[in-house]
Amino acid sequence: MSYTELDFTFQPGAYADQSTPLVRNCWYVAGLSSEISRDIVSRRFLGVDVALYRTLAGEPVAVRNRCPHRSFPLAKGRLEGDVLVCGYHGMQFDPSGRCVNMPSMPIVPANANVRSFPVVERAPIVWIWMGNPDLADESKIPDTSWLSDPAWQSVGGTFPMNSDYVAMHENLLDQTHFPFLHPGTVGTPEYARSKLDVRQEGNVVIIDRKLKNSPPPGIYGIPAGIMHKKVDRMSDARFASPALHTAFAQIIDHEPDEGKPSIYRFNITHLITPESNGRIHYWWFNSRNFELQNAEIDKFMYEASTKAYLEDVDALEAILQVVQNDVEPQFDLNFAPDKPGLMMRKILYQLAAAEAGYQFG
Amino acid sequence: MVKSNLDVIVAGIRQLTPRIREYLLRSPDGAPLPPYEPGAHIELHTVSPASGPIVRHYSLIGGTGSWDDTPDIYRIAVQREDRQRGSAHIHDTFQVGTALQVSWPKNHFMLDRRDSKSLLIAGGIGITPILSMLRSLVRRGRHFEMAYAGRQAGDMAYRQDVLRLAGPHARIHVSGDDNRNVLDIQALLAAQPEGTNAYVCGPAPMVKAAQAAAAALGWDASRIRSELFSSGPGANDVAFDVELRASGRRVRVGRDTSILDALTAAGVHVLSDCRRGECGLCPLPVIETDGEIEHRDRYLDEEERASGKTLCICVSRTTGSRLVLDA
Repeated sequence: MSYTELDFTFQPGAYADQSTPLVRNCWYVAGLSSEISRDIVSRRFLGVDVALYRTLAGEPVAVRNRCPHRSFPLAKGRLEGDVLVCGYHGMQFDPSGRCVNMPSMPIVPANANVRSFPVVERAPIVWIWMGNPDLADESKIPDTSWLSDPAWQSVGGTFPMNSDYVAMHENLLDQTHFPFLHPGTVGTPEYARSKLDVRQEGNVVIIDRKLKNSPPPGIYGIPAGIMHKKVDRMSDARFASPALHTAFAQIIDHEPDEGKPSIYRFNITHLITPESNGRIHYWWFNSRNFELQNAEIDKFMYEASTKAYLEDVDALEAILQVVQNDVEPQFDLNFAPDKPGLMMRKILYQLAAAEAGYQFG
Repeated sequence: MVKSNLDVIVAGIRQLTPRIREYLLRSPDGAPLPPYEPGAHIELHTVSPASGPIVRHYSLIGGTGSWDDTPDIYRIAVQREDRQRGSAHIHDTFQVGTALQVSWPKNHFMLDRRDSKSLLIAGGIGITPILSMLRSLVRRGRHFEMAYAGRQAGDMAYRQDVLRLAGPHARIHVSGDDNRNVLDIQALLAAQPEGTNAYVCGPAPMVKAAQAAAAALGWDASRIRSELFSSGPGANDVAFDVELRASGRRVRVGRDTSILDALTAAGVHVLSDCRRGECGLCPLPVIETDGEIEHRDRYLDEEERASGKTLCICVSRTTGSRLVLDA
């Protein structure tokens, strides 16, 4: 729970926006496995500064990046074995956050503990739980197994963004912006008009889309070498959790050329961790199940994805600037294609309300 | 950040055993109270007409089943002591609607979530922090074992909750009214696999027995984590006067009040922080006393204690009627 959010008053039936308290009881991405090492790094998650490091045995550790004594950032200290030593007065903390030595005191004070956070590594991702640690059920870590599956090849990147996770998820669930914000890469005009089937399963929002016999978008058609063809396109895009949006696409070529597959699969993984209301960490992966060793396709996928996602970053940062700086209130209009986003925003709102102790029907 | 106390209202009272009552404390406007983790406690501030200001420490239980209380609730349990003391004041005067102040949660008794196995040992009212640890271990599906000892089954608060939560992993040990059948902590420790950490909360002899057993078995002392509310008054504590040499003021310290709390209530503000004899901020120089100084801190060394020239005013006191401090 964040104390800055205590004044928020929840109303039944509302949708989350950039001012809604962040959902804390959720597995979020702390970083990529490669980002967490014996060099202590710090990151802010849900308003709390966290120091991240690995034990000698390689286990990731997350503790609050703030010494309980004089608030010195612990990430500016050093590791002695598995013990984190504060750089200010040398207080020492074990990986659970328990103080094991305070050099200037004759005893180890029992109250000199730093909060630790549950972390779980599912390579290439290290997940963190910022909420009630008792609820940190590892079985609720979302599936991203294709990222480590040898049958798939992934490219990925990361951006810090001056946006919020509500707008980010809404953007990801909103496929009608593709041909306009991302012309030439992910969007085609046919796709924007294609009928979508949206459904909710628990707190997951799923959009199924089928588009038959139309040209593929460049981001899929070019690496598959089928831009000249008309293909069927099936996609499953889902708000899987406040931390994860996945988009699974299948491009079906009913008349494949000699030696080429008829189905091309793409799994896109969007990982979002709020740093605060108004700033997010964002990691993306674009995975494919063909031409696994082709560095040229890697390069194309990386560049095309980066271009598209930077277009999203620019748009979302511009929107938040307007929302935060324009003094005249506006209640944004909603239309039929916004249904998936509104379903997601209702879920985020209800999750935040439940964490604050509100119960709505 | 300056620590201010939290306003709460007694929202529910439940008699758990003949001597133990559970109190639900709720924020006045239903807003969430600051969160806490297993082992945490609050200081409860109240004023007794007989003894003056009283500060008592109570562990936060968090709930009785595997669910959590709502975030606007702190759940504590108070055992009435034999004499008419602070806890009796609470039992006699707290009613639904009584307004109180409590501190922000503090945790001196942290459960290590990484334990390969956790051994929980509770004695009597020491069940309160142990129950919150048990709930956490059960909910997270961790490897644990628990022993809960008391003189009579009927005096053991949350006994049924413990059995329901822990199933075969907990055992209830009845030691009898004469306490003849004491829980064999050494046998309990000896049966543990390597890497088990033990969490002990109970009367001082139980905590000492656990530490002695660990030492006898060659366990690293850090594997025994214990909570002992040492700042609570002893049964034989008496009231006395404190004289402050510098200001010439005289302050009455009730038998249930610490010197620190009596001075604070009288508007004399001295340095302090932990209120449990650990941080070393509150010791004041002693000029004289007509009794023995009872040292109850962990901070002063043997030489300082033996000198009789200083004491931690948050927990220690005199057996006499007068204590003169150089302050």
